[in-house]
Amino acid sequence: MAHRKSPVRMRSGHPARLATRFAVTARLFAKRVTVASVASLASATLCHAGELAVSIVDRAGRPVTDVVVTAAPLDQRVSRAASAASTAVMDQRSLAFVPRVLVVATGTSVAFPNSDSVSHQVYSFSPAKKFQLPLYKGERHPPVTFDREGLVVLGCNIHDEMAGYIYVTDAPYFGTTDAAGMLRLTDLRAGDYRLTLWSPVVADPPATLTRTVQVAAQGVTASRVQLARELRARPEPRPRRGDWEY
Amino acid sequence: MRAWHAAACAIICLWAGLAGAEDRLAVVGALDLRWVHSTAQTSYLNGGVGALRFDPDHEDLRLGRAFLAARVRLMDVVTLHAVANAYGDHDRNPVDLSELWAEVRPFPTQALRWRVRVGAFHMPVSLENRASGWSDVYTITPSALNTWLGEEFRTIGAELEARWLGASSGYLGDVALIAAAYGWNDPAGALIADGGFRLTDRPSTLFGGLSRPPTTFYHEIDRQPGYYAGLIWRHHDRLEFRALRYDNRANPRTETDAGGYAWRTRFSSLGVRLEPAAHWTFIAQYLDGDTAVGPTDTTPDEFRMSYRAAFGLTSLDWGRERLTARFDDFHTHQLSGFEGPPSDESGHAWTVGWTHELGAQWQLAAEWIRVSSRFPPRVTYDKPPGLLESQTQLAIRYRFGGGL
Repeated sequence: MAHRKSPVRMRSGHPARLATRFAVTARLFAKRVTVASVASLASATLCHAGELAVSIVDRAGRPVTDVVVTAAPLDQRVSRAASAASTAVMDQRSLAFVPRVLVVATGTSVAFPNSDSVSHQVYSFSPAKKFQLPLYKGERHPPVTFDREGLVVLGCNIHDEMAGYIYVTDAPYFGTTDAAGMLRLTDLRAGDYRLTLWSPVVADPPATLTRTVQVAAQGVTASRVQLARELRARPEPRPRRGDWEY
Repeated sequence: MRAWHAAACAIICLWAGLAGAEDRLAVVGALDLRWVHSTAQTSYLNGGVGALRFDPDHEDLRLGRAFLAARVRLMDVVTLHAVANAYGDHDRNPVDLSELWAEVRPFPTQALRWRVRVGAFHMPVSLENRASGWSDVYTITPSALNTWLGEEFRTIGAELEARWLGASSGYLGDVALIAAAYGWNDPAGALIADGGFRLTDRPSTLFGGLSRPPTTFYHEIDRQPGYYAGLIWRHHDRLEFRALRYDNRANPRTETDAGGYAWRTRFSSLGVRLEPAAHWTFIAQYLDGDTAVGPTDTTPDEFRMSYRAAFGLTSLDWGRERLTARFDDFHTHQLSGFEGPPSDESGHAWTVGWTHELGAQWQLAAEWIRVSSRFPPRVTYDKPPGLLESQTQLAIRYRFGGGL
């Protein structure tokens, strides 16, 4: 993908604002981009923010959805603002986690509302966050705060076929790719960034999924990643006909 | 057993009392009414030699099944489960339990998760009976293999499962090793020795019995526990493989004063269910084993019989429809024993089933089944050894409840 010039996007918000927006899909495969933008310490860049457009394709050139992309500036002077008191939602619908992959900033509280008519017992024994959360109908539970960077693999103690992932990152910019395999990260200062990719279906070695990209001060910097290995098969669970099937 | 029956009913009432808090109790139920046409011999369920559930004397409108399946959560990791059934036939218990067990399933703190079941429940063999209350989701009538398991076998004891959960290692699937110790399954084998394989959706209940030999199923005769051990592998929610070795370790020389015999019954079972793409399901199961009884004080001969059964099933579901075809093959071979026609059965069956969802709670189901079998001992009942039987059923099912 060639670089495209685009008008500089002017930010009208408060310069010190840390905006973290999360949108959780109502449908299993629908995607939203979650972006945390960081106030730059260098006031000169406040009105000149770059964009990074990441495109991920498989060996055959087909888009890969639901890939976590994080971008961290290599210039340490650009520090991440203090942890935001942000929230996100990991729902349970039709015996599946929705979204299947959620990426959040370290310190984010994640709610588990359980939209199913059956109970769930969500757990994780991942080092980044160990927790056990029964989700019974008619009962509300406080959100879970993810305060350590790392991958948290979710399961349900009642429905073993359920698997979900919360990717907790210290990087200030992150999101997941959409149905077109695309993610746009906005409001980036010019400079070098460490770009890291992760997905449960990507089989490429982790070392090949980290790279350095240089983001221009203006316009859109495009980064296209073509995976070397076949994706892991991750078929969706078969839909069940009501609560009497399992 | 009457006392047990009363105790079980009391436990259910206690559950209902305990289940005041929302979500503590989950109940699923169904009512299944049938229109039946049959060309079969008098069913073995009515004292005959026919291999199907209904016969020309039991046609037209019938109760297929009414059942309630309940789960009560006592603690986060402890639940109680029960399934109560009515079949509308001449069982001495018009309503009876088929399963009643407690389950302890701790939250996993590592990739290995333990689970314990204690009580009375079906062993994990059938890949057809995957719905609440051990219901078959593909056809009205399960295969000959799973019919037999539903009729003569219930684990009355404890089962331990160790399951490796693959998701934390990047694998979408898991592998479980299971082992169980149980009692009260000493008569298992008598029914197949008496009449060969059948195809019905009429599994036995825990305390009831029909007016045919043996009248009840679940007795402890020799005071020796049996076991089974097996493996379940689930891959990507698309493939499930099951292997199991069963041995009730009965002492075949044991006999009770009331004329109850212990049948030494052993088998190995393999099964695979494949759902390779949207809409398609393929199931194959195979079972191979033997059973033996005697000699005892009253019967000087030792009777031994081997058996094997297999089936292949293909199912296509789209929208509200499901269409299923199945082929069953089953054999028994008498190795030693009593005088008279040998218990050598050879048979096969074709089943075609269709279901249509009328809405969230109503379902229409239709099934045609044809069984061809040859079993020489039928001549002792003045019936030909070879039979060709068919049965057509149309069912309307109402299902309610949820959250199980």
